[in-house]
Amino acid sequence: MTLLSVDNITVRYGRLTALRGVSLKIEDGETIFVTGPNGAGKSTLLKAIAGVVPAAEGAIVLGGQVITGASPESTARLGFSMVPEGRHVFGGLTIEENLMLGAGMRKDRARVGEDLKQVYDVFPMLRERKDKPAGVLSGGQQQMLVIGRALMTAPRLIAIDEPSLGLAPKVIDQVYETLLKLRDSRGLTLLIVEQSSTRAMMTGGRMILLRSGQVVLEGDARTLARGDTLKKAYFGYGEH
Amino acid sequence: MAQRSSLLARTISTLIILILILVAIAVVTKLLGSRPFERTVVEMFIRVMLVVGIYIFVGNSGVISFGHMGFMCIGAYAAAWFTIPAVMKQVSLPGLPNFLINTQLPIFLSAFLAGLLAALFALIVGRILMRLSGIAASIATFAMLAVINVVYSNWDSVTGGTGSIVGIPFYTGIWTALGGAILVVIIAYLYQISRSGLALRAGRDEATAAAASGVNIVRERLIAFVISAFVIGVAGALYGHFLGVVNPDAFYLGVTFITLSMLVVGGMNSLSGAVMGVIVISGIIQLLRWLEKGVDLGGTTLAIPNGLQEITIGLVMIVILMFRPSGLTRNREITWRFKGATKPSE
Amino acid sequence: MTALLQILFDALSLGSLYALGALGIALIFGVMRLVNFAHGDYIAFCVFALLWPSIDAAAIVFAGNLPTIILIPLILAIGAGLSVLSEILVFRRFRNANPATMMIASFALGYVLKNFLLMLFSSRPKSIDLWSNLSQQVEIAGARIPLLQVITITITIVILIALTAFLKRTRFGLEMRAAAENFTMARMLGVKANRVIMLAFAISGMLAAAIGLILATQSGTVDIQMGMSVMLVAFIATVIGGLGSLPGAVIAGFLIGGASVLMQVILPLEARPFRDAFVYGAVIACLIWRPQGLLAPKSAKQRV
Repeated sequence: MTLLSVDNITVRYGRLTALRGVSLKIEDGETIFVTGPNGAGKSTLLKAIAGVVPAAEGAIVLGGQVITGASPESTARLGFSMVPEGRHVFGGLTIEENLMLGAGMRKDRARVGEDLKQVYDVFPMLRERKDKPAGVLSGGQQQMLVIGRALMTAPRLIAIDEPSLGLAPKVIDQVYETLLKLRDSRGLTLLIVEQSSTRAMMTGGRMILLRSGQVVLEGDARTLARGDTLKKAYFGYGEH
Repeated sequence: MAQRSSLLARTISTLIILILILVAIAVVTKLLGSRPFERTVVEMFIRVMLVVGIYIFVGNSGVISFGHMGFMCIGAYAAAWFTIPAVMKQVSLPGLPNFLINTQLPIFLSAFLAGLLAALFALIVGRILMRLSGIAASIATFAMLAVINVVYSNWDSVTGGTGSIVGIPFYTGIWTALGGAILVVIIAYLYQISRSGLALRAGRDEATAAAASGVNIVRERLIAFVISAFVIGVAGALYGHFLGVVNPDAFYLGVTFITLSMLVVGGMNSLSGAVMGVIVISGIIQLLRWLEKGVDLGGTTLAIPNGLQEITIGLVMIVILMFRPSGLTRNREITWRFKGATKPSE
Repeated sequence: MTALLQILFDALSLGSLYALGALGIALIFGVMRLVNFAHGDYIAFCVFALLWPSIDAAAIVFAGNLPTIILIPLILAIGAGLSVLSEILVFRRFRNANPATMMIASFALGYVLKNFLLMLFSSRPKSIDLWSNLSQQVEIAGARIPLLQVITITITIVILIALTAFLKRTRFGLEMRAAAENFTMARMLGVKANRVIMLAFAISGMLAAAIGLILATQSGTVDIQMGMSVMLVAFIATVIGGLGSLPGAVIAGFLIGGASVLMQVILPLEARPFRDAFVYGAVIACLIWRPQGLLAPKSAKQRV
């Protein structure tokens, strides 16, 4: 079943076109990587789906409902959980408050406590400091917190923008390990944006390559990695 | 130098158009021959000086200043000190130093010195204030205005306190005011194409990049601050010679907000916006005043109730900003080719 | 000692008004980055709501005659309603505008409100007898303190405690704090923007109403200028406290109140008329010392 379908969307910032006619489909339970060089429009794609920037053209459908032009809060309420670049923890709120903020819109109040416990089980470090302001956490810990916070929204799809940005390689491994474990245990759908394609090849799954606001390549990450089509597409010197 | 002259060639049409519009308004007013209307237009020209004066700082630096009417206050009182006859000053302002009591300068020299005094004050205060940015700078300029207001309201022997000082020679008529407005527009234009003006605008749009390329934002801001203080000081002097009286509350919050509103409604990042904001808002106010007095329609006089004029002008400003958040000129300059320019609502 | 106590109460009661005002401005700034210049006119509006519209010199007291238990909620509701209404009709359309544009729009709205009141009531100050029995004095540790000061301070403390509890202990409070820190992120977690903003406006309006009631009781008059001076100081306090920081706003409000009272006492007689110049001079010094405010929130974005 198609969970999210983005159909031919174009996004403009003033005179600058950040995305032109981008389409993609995400199936339920799938892991999909969006990669591409700086300024390719990766973050813009996530923001457009989340309803943070408006799409000038095209349509976005989430779980059968058209969400083009919907507000960020209503998109979130349909099960799209966004973890933007730079993590964005609420530094003045405690760790538990950060987590509970994500649970505010849920109807199944009874399950919230159980989910909180699960998140704490996955990230024991968060439980230890649950009453501390989130601002004191290190970069890797903040990344854990925002993933936990996204889980607390009981999402159908988690979109993560550059989860490895500014983290040490060992920590990145940890983050991915947790993400994949969670995906398998909860049947999550993941949409991950990374600038490099290495992680996609290691993890496996479908990969989409964006360049200059357009989809230039799409396919299985490991298959693409074998030839040098990927490198060519990434740097944009296709014919030679 | 070649670059500067090509910049001049590309942008000079804005200056010419703005001056022509101002001259046209003065000529039409003279032709109409109505005294009260002429006074309104004189007041409007002084507003042009004030708003363009604020624009020199706010428009180029991007820092909102609530303090500039303090310079108007300084300029107007200085003009009073320089031009009121000695006999009157001995009675009403006994605290003035003797040399001031005994001098009575020609109007233009006095206005020039009034501007210099405001500029000097700006130079001293600005050395401290220009280190601030953003809303902290705005609040600091407001605090400066408040300090000036408190001092001028209470230093009775020198300023006459909260009462009005009378006896300032009447001088400012429509041609003087027009001349003042044109002069100020030229100063603002020359500043914004000057090296300092360009650097300041670069700093406004791209602070980091400008700083990286060696722009000293604090210094450029100080230059703009001092020039705008001079302009507004002169405007204050001309205003004194227009009304014949000054009192400190004429240079406080009311005029601060109305001039800032005109600037923002016109488009705060362009000289055309500053001028157009004054003309359009003044035009609407005048129109509403006429309606308030009543319009003769086939024997019956239709008038809008008193007080509705102020309410309407407030609503009109809100509506304009709703549809044009960056002002009537959308922060662009009027040029020969630019068709979207708003014409004065004359 | 008794003199000191009197000074302390003067400072606290003046600071209370500034703190409540600064809180009202900081709440809105936190969620919307709007400096609401209409706030002072909300205060005036709430005071005039005690009267029946008339341009006569004598006030026709109308709502002001209601029993206290009805009067207070009514005026608070008027403040909240006016504030929310201005959000829906005006500020909602400026969400994406730059701060200068929003600021001028709020000033224009205040101008409209002020002139609306002038049209209905004229510009003459009117006297009103509101809880005048509170003007008696009470003796505290040998010092004679106006009862009204004690009540003002008590009410402020109660409001501060209630607001803190609301922000810390309730879902709405959590959402408001999150929105003040990072509005977009909060929305991406399902926090409803309109609801949070309207709530902030409602609380801010109630704070304006509370200030209005205190001012009317203190002065025994109803005057169009009433909210203005409080609003200006409150605005300054919000910035000195650190824009967006609610505790900062409250502390700075009390500091400015304290500084004003203190200068009144310690300045030599001939300098006293210039007291406010010294206060504003101190404000500038404070800004130079800490441009980001006393308690700058980590996420504070300066955008003006």
